[in-house]
Amino acid sequence: MSDAQSPTDFDPVEPNTGHDFEPVDVFPDSNDFDLRPGADSCFKCSVCDTNCPVAEVDDDFPGPKFQGPEQWRLKQTDDDYEIDDSVMSCSNCMRCDNACPSGVPLSQMHNTARGEYVEEQMSKTDIEYWRNRILSNYRLSASIASKVPRLSTWAMNFGPARWLMEKTMGVTKERDFPDFAPQTFREWWAERGGADASRRNAQQRREELGLDRNADRKVAYFHGCYSNYNTVGVAKAMVRVYEHYGYEVVAPEQKCSGTPMFANGMLDDARRHAEVNVSSMSDLVDQGYDAIASCTSCSMALRQEYPELFDIDGIEKVSSNTFEAVEYLRIHEDVKADVQAAEVSGELAEEFAYHAPCHARNQGLERQSVELFRDLDGAGIEDVGESCSGISGTYGWKEEKYEKSMDIGEEMFEHMEHADGEVGMTECPTCAMQMEHGTGYEIRHPLELLEAAIVN
Amino acid sequence: MARTPHIAVIGGGSTGIGIARDLAMRGLDVTLVEQGNLTHGTTGRMHGLLHSGGRYAVADQASATECIEENRVLRDIATHCVEMTGGLFVKRPEDSEEYFQKKLDGCKECGIPAEVISGEEARAMEPHLAKDVEKAITVPDGAIDPFRLVVANAASAEEHGARIETHSKVTDLIIEGGEVVGLEVDHASGSGKRVHGTEGGTEEIRADYVINATGAWAGRIGDMADVDIAVRPSKGVMTIMNIRQVDTVINRCKPKGDADIVVPHETTAILGTTDEEVEDPEDYPEEGWEVDKMIDTLKELVPMLEEARTIRSFWGVRPLYEPPDVGSDDPTDITRDYFLLDHDERDDLQGMTSIVGGKFTTYRMMGEEISDHVCAKFDIDAECRTADEPLPGSEDFSVLRDYMDEFGLRSPIGRRSVERLGSRADEVLKTSDPNPTVCGCEGVTRAEVQDAIEQSGSDLNAVRIRTRASMGNCQGGFCCSRLASELHGEYSEDIAREAWDELLQERWKGQRHALWGEQLSQAALNYALHSTTQNRDNDPADGNPVDFAAFDSGVSAGEAPRTADVAADGGRRDGD
Ligand SMILES: Cc1cc2nc3c(=O)[nH]c(=O)nc-3n(C[C@H](O)[C@H](O)[C@H](O)COP(=O)(O)OP(=O)(O)OC[C@H]3O[C@@H](n4cnc5c(N)ncnc54)[C@H](O)[C@@H]3O)c2cc1C
Ligand code: SF4
Ligand code: SF4
Repeated sequence: MSDAQSPTDFDPVEPNTGHDFEPVDVFPDSNDFDLRPGADSCFKCSVCDTNCPVAEVDDDFPGPKFQGPEQWRLKQTDDDYEIDDSVMSCSNCMRCDNACPSGVPLSQMHNTARGEYVEEQMSKTDIEYWRNRILSNYRLSASIASKVPRLSTWAMNFGPARWLMEKTMGVTKERDFPDFAPQTFREWWAERGGADASRRNAQQRREELGLDRNADRKVAYFHGCYSNYNTVGVAKAMVRVYEHYGYEVVAPEQKCSGTPMFANGMLDDARRHAEVNVSSMSDLVDQGYDAIASCTSCSMALRQEYPELFDIDGIEKVSSNTFEAVEYLRIHEDVKADVQAAEVSGELAEEFAYHAPCHARNQGLERQSVELFRDLDGAGIEDVGESCSGISGTYGWKEEKYEKSMDIGEEMFEHMEHADGEVGMTECPTCAMQMEHGTGYEIRHPLELLEAAIVN
Repeated sequence: MARTPHIAVIGGGSTGIGIARDLAMRGLDVTLVEQGNLTHGTTGRMHGLLHSGGRYAVADQASATECIEENRVLRDIATHCVEMTGGLFVKRPEDSEEYFQKKLDGCKECGIPAEVISGEEARAMEPHLAKDVEKAITVPDGAIDPFRLVVANAASAEEHGARIETHSKVTDLIIEGGEVVGLEVDHASGSGKRVHGTEGGTEEIRADYVINATGAWAGRIGDMADVDIAVRPSKGVMTIMNIRQVDTVINRCKPKGDADIVVPHETTAILGTTDEEVEDPEDYPEEGWEVDKMIDTLKELVPMLEEARTIRSFWGVRPLYEPPDVGSDDPTDITRDYFLLDHDERDDLQGMTSIVGGKFTTYRMMGEEISDHVCAKFDIDAECRTADEPLPGSEDFSVLRDYMDEFGLRSPIGRRSVERLGSRADEVLKTSDPNPTVCGCEGVTRAEVQDAIEQSGSDLNAVRIRTRASMGNCQGGFCCSRLASELHGEYSEDIAREAWDELLQERWKGQRHALWGEQLSQAALNYALHSTTQNRDNDPADGNPVDFAAFDSGVSAGEAPRTADVAADGGRRDGD
C-alpha cells in the first residue's frame, strides 16, 4: 500500500463547501493578507529582538522587529519596494511571536515577507532556491528514499556524495542524514489493519476500562513526514497509547504540514500541501474527530500558521480542533496519575535530558513532559533550559547557517552534558537531530516513554 | 550699472521661501528672516496635499485652475518631495448626486483630468473604502512633503546667493519718510545656522524693498507700520495615523464640511480637517473633541480608521484673506486665492508689499507673481526660472538601485533614504564610516542625520523635518537620545542636552491628543524608558557638567566576559 492511500473507514463526502458558500476571491494570493493591525500594535519595545536566537549569534541579522512591523511599515508606499534579503536568515523558530507583549503577529509577517521575497526577488535558477526547495520538500525526497531505506541511509551519508552536496548545493556535510526506517509507519499501519483494527482495539480497551463500547473517542492522527519515514517508533507509540485510553485512531491522507516550506518562503508549495491536509482533516473534524500531531511543529502549523497564511475552506475549524498528542491526553485523561502509579524498566529506564522545542513553547507546552514524567518510577527527567536548539528544521542544514546553528545550540548542548542522564528527549524531530548531533546522545520522544510506562 | 537691489523677505514658510528662491535666481540680493525654524508656521502644520484643484472645482474655479497648473509644475521640479498617489472624490449614498455631477463638470472646466469609476473599482484600488461608497471621481491629487520642499527651496536660494536667517524675529519695521527701508531683527542665537547657547543679538537689516510673507501673522507686521491687513486666521486639526490605511488621497464629494479628507503621507496617513476662525494665530484652543469628531466622520469613508492607531494630532491656521468688501461669515466661504497687497497703492506706504492667502500648492506661482512685481519696481527684466529648474534633490535620479551594494543599507531603509534625499543620495549616503540606523521607524541612518546637522546646526527639530527621524510610531521614544548623541563631537554636552530637551518637548506636545489605545502604551513605554535609562524624569546631571573622565573605560575586548551560572533545570513551576 502506498503511503498516500487513505484509511478505509470513511467515505469522503462531496467537497464540503456548504450550501451558502460563495467562493469570493478575498485574498487573490496568500501574500495579500492585511497586516495593518499588527503593524499598529508594535510599540517598539524590542522584546522580540532580545528573544531571537538568530539575532543573538548573527550580527548581520536585524532581528524580528525590523523583519516584521518595521519593514512592513517602511515598505507600504508602493509595490516596487523590495523585501530585505535578511528575512531568509530567520529560522522561523517563532520565539518572537511568543515574546511580543503586544500581540504582533511576527511570524505571520515574516512568513508573508519571506514568501514575497522568494516569489519576487529570488532567482528561480539560483542554486540556493533549489537547495531550499529540496530541503523544504523533505517529504518528497523521503518518500523516494524510503523505497530503498537501507541504501538511501547509506547513500545519503556517503562521504564523497556529501562533499558534493555541500559544494554544489550548500547542504552542510557536517550533519548525518537521518536513518530511514525499513518499514514506514503507513506500511505498518496498513499491515496492522488500518482504522478497522484500531477501532476494534479501542472498543476492547473501552470495555476493559468500563466505558461504553461505542464511546465517542476518535482522533485523526497527523503523523507528519518524519515519524512516517524515520522515527516510526513514535507514531506506533502514539497509536498504542491512544488505543490504550480507548481512542480509535485514523490516519487520513496527508502531506507535509508545510513547516519547512514556511521557513523557506515556499508559500505556494506549502499551500498545495495545506489544501490536502485541511480538506481531509476538516471532513474528519465534521465527523467528530480531533486532529492530533506528535510533532510540535506540525501542530503549530495546523493551529496557527494555516489560518494566518491561507484562506482555505474549513481551515479555522481544523485549527481550533488540533492538539499535540501529549497535550490532548493531559486534557482529557488522568495520565498524570497513571504515570505516577507506573514504573518503567528496560530500555527506557533512563535519566532524560529534556529540551522543549520552540514551537512547543509557542503552544504553551514547554513544561508538559517534565510535569508528566518527573514522578515516574524508574526514569528521571531534567529540563535543559529555555534556549533554542538552533536547528529550526532546515535552517541548520544550510552550509552557510551551520556554524550559527551550532552557536545557538551551544547552551543546550552544555546543559545536556550537565544533566544526569545520557539520553535526550524532545517532541520535535529536528531538535532531536540537533541534540544528537551536538552530544552524541540517543534522543527519544515523550510518547515513547509514555508507552513504555503505561501500555501493557 | 545700478546697484543690485537688496530685498528682505519676512517669513520662512512656503510663500516666503518661494519668493526668496525666485528673486535670488533672478540675480537680486535676498535676505530672508524667519522667527522659528523653516516651516515654523502654517507650512509645517498643513495636510501635505498636492492639490489637483478638484477640491475647489465647484466653488472657487480660479483657485482650482491655479492648482492644476502648479500641480504639474511641482511634479516636475520637486520629484523628491512629491508622491503621485492620485486622488478620489467618493460619493456615499446620502451625498448629493447633483453635486457629484457639478464636481465632475467643474473639474473638466478647469482642465483637471477627472473620470468616474464605480464603487467596486474604487474598492479595488482602495480595499478599505466603505462598502457603501457608490462611485468616485479620479483626480491627479498627490502627497507632498512641505518640509523637504521648503528646505530644498532654501538650499537653492542659498546656492544663488541668498541669506537665510532662521530663529530671527522681525520686531519692527524701519520706516523713513513714508517708506519701509529695513527690518529690526532679533536673532535668538547669532546669525547663520542655529547653535544653542550662541549669544543672540539684534540686527538692523537695511533693504531696498520688503516683502511681508508672514501668512497668518501678516497683520502683525502691518501693525508695525500702521497699515491694516485683515487676515482671518482659521484653524484646522489634522491627525496622523501610524500607518497608511489608503494609498490614494480620499476626499468626500460634498459641498463643504469638516473632516472630509485622508492623505497618505510617507509611512502614515493624515486625516483632516476642520475650519474654524480664531483670534490669534499663535494662541488658540486645541481640543480633544475635535480629533474625536474627525475620526468619527472619516470612518464613514474608511471604516477601519475607528480602530486604527493614531500617533499624533496637530493644528494649523490658514492665513485666509478676503478683500474688505466681501464679508463672508463662514470661513469655509472665504476664497483660497492669494492677494498681493502693495502698500504704496493701498496705504501710501512705500517699500513694502504683503502677500496673503493662497495655498501651499501654489507657493511657486505666488513667488513668481510677487517677484515680477518687485522686478518691475526696479526696472529689472529677468525671467522667472523656478518652473523649469528642478530643486536640489530633484535633478534626474532614480530610486531603483541596489542599496546593499551601493550604500550598505537594507533595502527598505535604502529606498526610504533615497526617496527623501533624491539626487543628493550619493553625496550623503556614500560613506566609509559605519552607518547604523538611528531612527528605526522611519529608516533614517547616521549619514543622513549628520548631513542634516551640517545644514542646520544643533537644532534637532530642524534635523527632524529634514530627515523624518522621530516622526514614526514611537514618536522619538527610541531615537531622540540617539539624535542628541549625534550632535556630540562637534557640539558640547550642554548644547546636546538643550537640543535634546527641545526635541522631546516638541514630540510630546503632539501626542497629547493621541493618548489612548496603542499610542498610550507607546507613551507609557517611552516615559518608563526615558526615566529609567536616561534620567529624564529628574536628572541630577542636568545643568551640572558630568566628569566623564572619572569613568573607567570598561572591560577591554580581550578580557573574557563573566559568565553567570544558569540553572539548567527550569525548576518546578506548576506547584503540583
Ligand atoms: C489645516 C490646514 C491644512 C492645509 N492643507 C493644505 C494642503 O493640503 N495643501 C495646500 O496646498 N495647502 C494647504 N493649506 C494651506 C497652506 O498650508 C498655507 O497656505 C501655506 O502653508 C501658507 O504658507 P505661508 O508661507 O504663507 O505661511 P506660513 O507657513 O505660516 O509662513 C509664515 C512664516 O512667517 C513667520 N513669521 C511670522 N511673524 C514673523 C516675524 N515677526 N518675524 C519673522 N518671521 C515671522 C512665521 O513663523 C511663519 O513661519 C492648509 C492650511 C491649513 C491651516
Ligand atoms: S522566528 Fe525565530 S529566528 Fe525568526 S525572527 Fe523570530 S525569533 Fe528570530
Ligand atoms: S516585541 Fe512586539 S511590540 Fe515589542 S518590538 Fe517586537 S513586535 Fe514590537
